[in-house]
Amino acid sequence: MNDNDVQPPGESGLYNRIAVLRAERGISRQSLADGVGVNYQTIGFLERGDYGPSLKLAFQIAEYFDLPVEAIFSTRPLKPLSQQVYASSKSPEMGKP
Amino acid sequence: MNAEVVILGRRISMAHQSRRRALVVILYAALAILMVVLFVSTGWRGTGGFVIWAAIFACRFFLGGYYSGGLVKPFNGKAPKQHVMPPSLLALKLRVYQAVPAGDDSAWRSDERELHQRDHAHYLAFQAIGAVICVPMLIASMRLIRPSLMSWIPMPPDAMYYGLTLVALILFLTLPQAILLWTEPDMEEENQEE
Repeated sequence: MNDNDVQPPGESGLYNRIAVLRAERGISRQSLADGVGVNYQTIGFLERGDYGPSLKLAFQIAEYFDLPVEAIFSTRPLKPLSQQVYASSKSPEMGKP
Repeated sequence: MNAEVVILGRRISMAHQSRRRALVVILYAALAILMVVLFVSTGWRGTGGFVIWAAIFACRFFLGGYYSGGLVKPFNGKAPKQHVMPPSLLALKLRVYQAVPAGDDSAWRSDERELHQRDHAHYLAFQAIGAVICVPMLIASMRLIRPSLMSWIPMPPDAMYYGLTLVALILFLTLPQAILLWTEPDMEEENQEE
């Protein structure tokens, strides 16, 4: 899996990076499901964009990955993580408080 | 939703949607045949209740929704009570009995997606049951307005209304679970990662 595997939204209309983050950190669907208190099948539905999570579940997933919720879910297509990180590191504003 | 059902002591995977659909078709066909047989043999006099028991049996061991057994998790989201009584002789004979594990009840609880699916299935079932209830109302109306138009129905009115009510009751007991089993896509294995 690579950064370009950001899933297009299915029925939910939400883009997300769950599959990318899970692969990057070597976390199984079952572990993530146990961590946020859902069925592992639901993680598959979320990754494919076939199910839009509640606000509570979206925040639980964000907390699990220790990322802001907007880094994981978006209504607009998400850029590949590598592209976003590289663009940020080149920006002169990067690192300023 | 559980991924397997126990029939004659064998655990049968129901992860594939096609298998779940086949199970739904078989169960409804069996209930329909039972209804027809009971009508032909006894006119449902004293035997209509057998169809209800058959529907409850189908829920208890195959469809789920209300009990510890079956594919669909309990609709109330609670773990079933521990059995203080031994399982029924029928369940033992057919080897469909599954003991309720003590302790962790997370396996019985539906998560938010499953609750959403459950509510949607009940909404669809509600529409279907409403449509079925309309049929006796329409027939009764026609009988009152133009009795001659309804003379082709080869069944006494009481038996017909009883049969239609029986169908509505069976749908009430089984249709939400059947919709869930029919619509849920193929389930991925726990270790099956994309």
